[in-house]
Amino acid sequence: MKYILLMAGTKAGVDNYRAWTKKDIDTHMAGLKSLVIDLRESGELVADQGLTGPEEAIVVCGQKEGMPVTDGIFPESKEFLLGYWIVDVATPERAYALAARLSTVPGPGGAPTNMPIEVRELASHPLNWS
Amino acid sequence: MKYILMMNATKANFDMYAQWSKEDLQRNVAFMRAFSKELKDSGVFVATEGLGWPNEARIVRAGRDGEPITDGVFAESKEFLAGYWIVDVESPDQACKIAARVSAAPGPGGTAASMPIEVRQVLTSFTDLGI
Repeated sequence: MKYILLMAGTKAGVDNYRAWTKKDIDTHMAGLKSLVIDLRESGELVADQGLTGPEEAIVVCGQKEGMPVTDGIFPESKEFLLGYWIVDVATPERAYALAARLSTVPGPGGAPTNMPIEVRELASHPLNWS
Repeated sequence: MKYILMMNATKANFDMYAQWSKEDLQRNVAFMRAFSKELKDSGVFVATEGLGWPNEARIVRAGRDGEPITDGVFAESKEFLAGYWIVDVESPDQACKIAARVSAAPGPGGTAASMPIEVRQVLTSFTDLGI
């Protein structure tokens, strides 16, 4: 079963993260890297991806045969996807355990970030267009 | 330059989608399949995924001993990722043009759904770095 673990945050949350000390950010990234290494070794990693910050986000609407209409204004409450990990696991519980581990990756002062991680199964119904 | 094109929707949007007629759904899915093929044929395709429905979504945090604590309650306003495409293009404009194409995917009655598509450049992944 393939699950996607989504890490998302508001623009304020991202600004807060950017104000962390370099040491805290390095420790945080090392925690994420170590998880990816473990997932690769266990054979559960399918893909991982980080995204650029919310200030880079553009929203595009298109009409049939029309040119793109772009906008970069979002509500303050908007949760921006910051990164994701796709894992191939035996049970949903294993996906939740991995999400919990992501949530324990160190934040400021080495304490767990306790970030909420959204867990979704990748669609296997006919609407999966891949 | 790699860009991710994200289709986000509230639970109400998903519920509406589920009520489209079979013909409308088939037309929409046929477009999505043709769109992915077109991306592959033009050499810009990197990845695409469709996600399960929001009623199966869980938020996970770690408890005191690192055990997962799951929750399935979300604000009505929450935007759920419905699916995404990652494309490797020459410019942000090219990414936006591709996003506009998918935004104009046929909706009810075959008219352009004009769904908003969020476009963001992606960073180098751990996988890309060989980690």
